[in-house]
Amino acid sequence: MIRADRLSKRFGPVSAVEDLSFEVAAGEILGFLGPNGAGKSTTLRMLSGYWPPSSGAAAIAGLDLAQSSLAARRRLGYLPEAFAAPPELRVSEYLRFRAGLKGLAGRERRARVQEVAQQLGLTERLRQTCGSLSKGYRQRVGLADALLNRPPALLLDEPFTGLDPLQRVEFRDQLAQLAREGHAILFSSHVLPEVDALAERVLILHRGRCAALGSRAELIQAAREEAPLRVVTAGDGAALEQALLGLAAWRLLRREGGALTLQAQGAAERQSLFQWLAQRREPMLEFRVLEPSLEDLFRRLVGPQEPA
Amino acid sequence: MRAFSALLRREVHALLVAPYVYLLLGLWYLLNALFFSLLLDYPQVQNDLSLLPQLLFGNGILLWLLLPVFPPLLTLRLLAEEHRLGTLEALLTAPVSDAAVVLAKYLAACLFFLLFWGGVLFLFLLIGGHGAALDAGAVAGGFLGALLCSCLFLAAGLWASSWSGNLVLAAGGGAGLNYALLFLPHFLHDAPGAPGRVAHATSIPLMLESGFAAGLIDSYALAYFAVLSALFLFLTWVRLVSRRWVP
Repeated sequence: MIRADRLSKRFGPVSAVEDLSFEVAAGEILGFLGPNGAGKSTTLRMLSGYWPPSSGAAAIAGLDLAQSSLAARRRLGYLPEAFAAPPELRVSEYLRFRAGLKGLAGRERRARVQEVAQQLGLTERLRQTCGSLSKGYRQRVGLADALLNRPPALLLDEPFTGLDPLQRVEFRDQLAQLAREGHAILFSSHVLPEVDALAERVLILHRGRCAALGSRAELIQAAREEAPLRVVTAGDGAALEQALLGLAAWRLLRREGGALTLQAQGAAERQSLFQWLAQRREPMLEFRVLEPSLEDLFRRLVGPQEPA
Repeated sequence: MRAFSALLRREVHALLVAPYVYLLLGLWYLLNALFFSLLLDYPQVQNDLSLLPQLLFGNGILLWLLLPVFPPLLTLRLLAEEHRLGTLEALLTAPVSDAAVVLAKYLAACLFFLLFWGGVLFLFLLIGGHGAALDAGAVAGGFLGALLCSCLFLAAGLWASSWSGNLVLAAGGGAGLNYALLFLPHFLHDAPGAPGRVAHATSIPLMLESGFAAGLIDSYALAYFAVLSALFLFLTWVRLVSRRWVP
């Protein structure tokens, strides 16, 4: 439904997005995760048809954005990162205007405005001017706008920004419901828990390139291969630490008494470590892989910069 | 077509509900009524009322003082405000072409400027109704010429509005362009050779005074205003498209 094929965007000598390819199927939610400046908004702007790519292609519902831009945009709902509506317009006026832009007219337009307003809890706000709305309600207006033409594909750039915790939960539920209704949803965030809670698949973008792409389980499975190991001995932790210094395949991350956290280079090393500890007749109390989280993977991929 | 009509309605509505537009309109009416009554006091005008359309619609104080300024004040928000508020991205990702955006905004401004000139026309109708002997052809021609000139100045103003989100730059730039369109041919009017001929052929005051306001519709003048307006609209469209490439 949403397809990016080797998308690249350069601003002069600066490459904002490089060779990015992915697809989002109908009914699927893809979370676009990356630190600030990773190229998330640039990618979404290319997919929305706002910015043409420097190279590569994008398609919405099988329609190429360069060749059939208007037709593709008719099948697209887009919530920009800095969504703004004319402050002097009432919410109902704004939504009617946007519905008209998207080809709806007459009774159908009025009905659809009421429908999305109800869907997003905006019915009570329809007579309020856009300028007087809170950030949360403005976001809802933006999402309502994106939904007006019943688009099969939705692009949402940082949709949770400015929402309070309750609104986040509501908004998340609404997005999940939209996916169940068959919308393909691509949303970006630099807030990892939001992506973790909502997306079925995650694309981690770092410096304009795809650092990882897959379902949460796939990414965590991949991360598990390199996850740290916790060894707890009933013996002398310091002596074990000294002995471990001789093993090149292992790096000691920290030691707290007899509890050591180690970083190995792969699963095979774990087996050899286990055998080595057994040969030493180390009185082990615990030997386990620390279950990695998406956050661990994110940290490892994007380096020292942490998600907000 | 639905998208274009929605866009046009939105733009007209935006102008209708903007308080500053009514300030402009009030000021315009006030100044026009003042000029009109001052001109009526002139003995020459009282003796020959056919001078009135020329002085008001032609090479007069309205053209040199008010007309270059008011259209950019009306168009300053059309694109600059969208840019400033951040609403341009939502607009340009809607299923509507950039050309339709430019045309709808321009047409809305032109329709609204009819209200400005309508007030002046009303003054003519008022004295005509009281038995003043007016040359209807000169009044109608002058009105048309003033309208075409306004449309040109609105197109220049719209282009200036597309430059950035700075409203002062949009208004100042538009007025500067309009004054350049008026003054450059005026200054070069007496130059010898080709510059003089070009200045003569592009002199807006001349086209209005000896053409439209005299009741003569010159196809050259019609084409001049149409082509130049189209050029500014094209430049506005180019600016919108280039914004997609170089934000």
